[in-house]
Amino acid sequence: MIKPARYWRKEEWQIGLLTALGAAFLLLFCLLPFAYMLAVAWAENHDFLSPQVDFRWTFANFREIAVPELHVPAYLANSLGIAGATALGATVFAGLAAFALTRLRVKGGRGILLAALALSMFPPISIAGYLFRMMAELGWINTYPALILPYIAWILPLCLWFLAGFFQGIPRELDKAAWVDGCTPWQLLRHILLPLARPGLLSAALLAFIFAYNEFLFALLLTVDAHSRTLPVGIAMFQGLHGEVPWGSLMAASVLAVLPVVLLALVFQKQIVGGLTRGAVKG
Amino acid sequence: MRIELKRVTKIHASRGRKVHAVDGVDLVIEPGELLVLLGPSGCGKSTLLEILAGLESPTSGTILFDGEIAADAEKKLFTGPKERGVAMVFQSYALYPHLTVAENIGFPLRVAGAREPALGEAVREAASAVQIENLLTARPSELSGGQRQRVAIARALVRKPSLFLMDEPLSNLDARLRLATRAKIKALQRNLGVTTVYVTHDQQEAMALGDRVAILNQGRIEQLGTPAEIFDNPATAFAARFAGHPPMNLLRVEAQENAEGPGWQGPVLALPGTTWFVPGRPPRGSTALLGIRPEHVSFVPAHTPGAIPAKVAASEKFGRDQLVHVEIGEITLSALVTGQAPAIGDSVGLILNPNRMKIYPDDGEVG
Repeated sequence: MIKPARYWRKEEWQIGLLTALGAAFLLLFCLLPFAYMLAVAWAENHDFLSPQVDFRWTFANFREIAVPELHVPAYLANSLGIAGATALGATVFAGLAAFALTRLRVKGGRGILLAALALSMFPPISIAGYLFRMMAELGWINTYPALILPYIAWILPLCLWFLAGFFQGIPRELDKAAWVDGCTPWQLLRHILLPLARPGLLSAALLAFIFAYNEFLFALLLTVDAHSRTLPVGIAMFQGLHGEVPWGSLMAASVLAVLPVVLLALVFQKQIVGGLTRGAVKG
Repeated sequence: MRIELKRVTKIHASRGRKVHAVDGVDLVIEPGELLVLLGPSGCGKSTLLEILAGLESPTSGTILFDGEIAADAEKKLFTGPKERGVAMVFQSYALYPHLTVAENIGFPLRVAGAREPALGEAVREAASAVQIENLLTARPSELSGGQRQRVAIARALVRKPSLFLMDEPLSNLDARLRLATRAKIKALQRNLGVTTVYVTHDQQEAMALGDRVAILNQGRIEQLGTPAEIFDNPATAFAARFAGHPPMNLLRVEAQENAEGPGWQGPVLALPGTTWFVPGRPPRGSTALLGIRPEHVSFVPAHTPGAIPAKVAASEKFGRDQLVHVEIGEITLSALVTGQAPAIGDSVGLILNPNRMKIYPDDGEVG
């Protein structure tokens, strides 16, 4: 039975409304904490949501965190440096491994990928104690390598799986064509595979960067002072004047912490989406 | 470039079992000829092509390029595609998506170390040979299938190869473009005189293009010859199924010691369900396949003595000709008629031209 035209228009209108409501809910759910964070960072009194207190605009919070005793610039530098090194290391290692596992005939290649996946399912806290002991014996507590190396090791399986899937999406016939055209494996990697894999490599690097940047547990355990402490840990250690939580300073520092990642995502958003979807669909 | 393959075999291990993708192939490819490897999917023709290219190494056997060893499994010698001077066009063209047409064509030369202006010269020359000079700055994603194929051919030719390999290059094109491009490929190969090996599963393409055709079945060459030789004299039932369109009829006949015919004594091959027979013994076993082309089957009135009684089941018209499918009990057969043809449902008699019948060992397949 063919439904009358009026009925279809009503259904479409209902679908449109539900979609809009769903989208609005999702946006609110994700963005409201950020909005609140921004508001508190620029508020004189963080209690502005209660009826007795007004919202007054001020930069005081930002001035407070700029003091040298709080080491905020050092924390930021540490975070950026460690996350950057992790992104670079993880991408290079995972990229080479993914190339080898998908392109060169490695015996047990599938087993290696599965083992990596299995290892990545360990909860970080399970090795935290041993990691601390190992770093202490190496004398690496409170240094960059103490964080960079475990971070690379931790995010490597994810980057490896991601890049392996991405490399698999590049047709094998291109390899054969390149070989017939006279390429050595290095030339194949440099001229053909790397340019084609660039979106995936960028996405993997961003993945590693964001993981390392946000990581808290290892950073808390393995760093002692501003020499290598990262921003998440630094912010968590802010003390208030009389022992209360200094919300204003905390939120101001958080705004600062969020800034690099937001900027990266904005600059590379096209590549991120491209990288995430291209690996999924055969070209 | 004269190429010799001696007892070339390629064995794959597939799920614990050994598969002979290529099985003891002996082949000589004459300089300048266009040899077609014809066969169904999985017969080993693409593997053989990759072995010729140097993309795969043979498990056993030897390959010689102009007398020099290109691969020898026993002596563990192997040269890659570059040293062999081989160029290849793939079924899906395999163009580099991130490079322009000009960069794609020039890629083999660039990898070998060529630079401007020699590089640009060679690219322009190759592009004009296939008439794509106006597309040099485009990317593969902007091109049509036919254009991409020409880029692939240009890229293969730019190195002036001694051996030109093509793996089903026309199968991704629409029918009309396929015919036009087929003629162009033939002309191009003639002009350049480069030894070419062409893989296809389309027997019309094979017969139209090849100077010689090798029919492959399960890794072995069933027949090697010119298209005319294969058409007139298919060596096996498998080859018979491949040569000619519409395909040859293959009827299963049984051995009988004594015929029930007027004045005939001796072994015959009889068509089951009828009184029709032809003198002879099956080459192997107790059954054989009788091959007769549709054009060598004629219609006569139903009860003519010596004719096989049959009933018309279906009919296909190709312009002037008509392919009439008849049923003899459970057996079907096609006859090619020009002009007037019997109607569906008619009872007819069939006469098979005795000079054109071929007897093959029964290979178990339906005809």
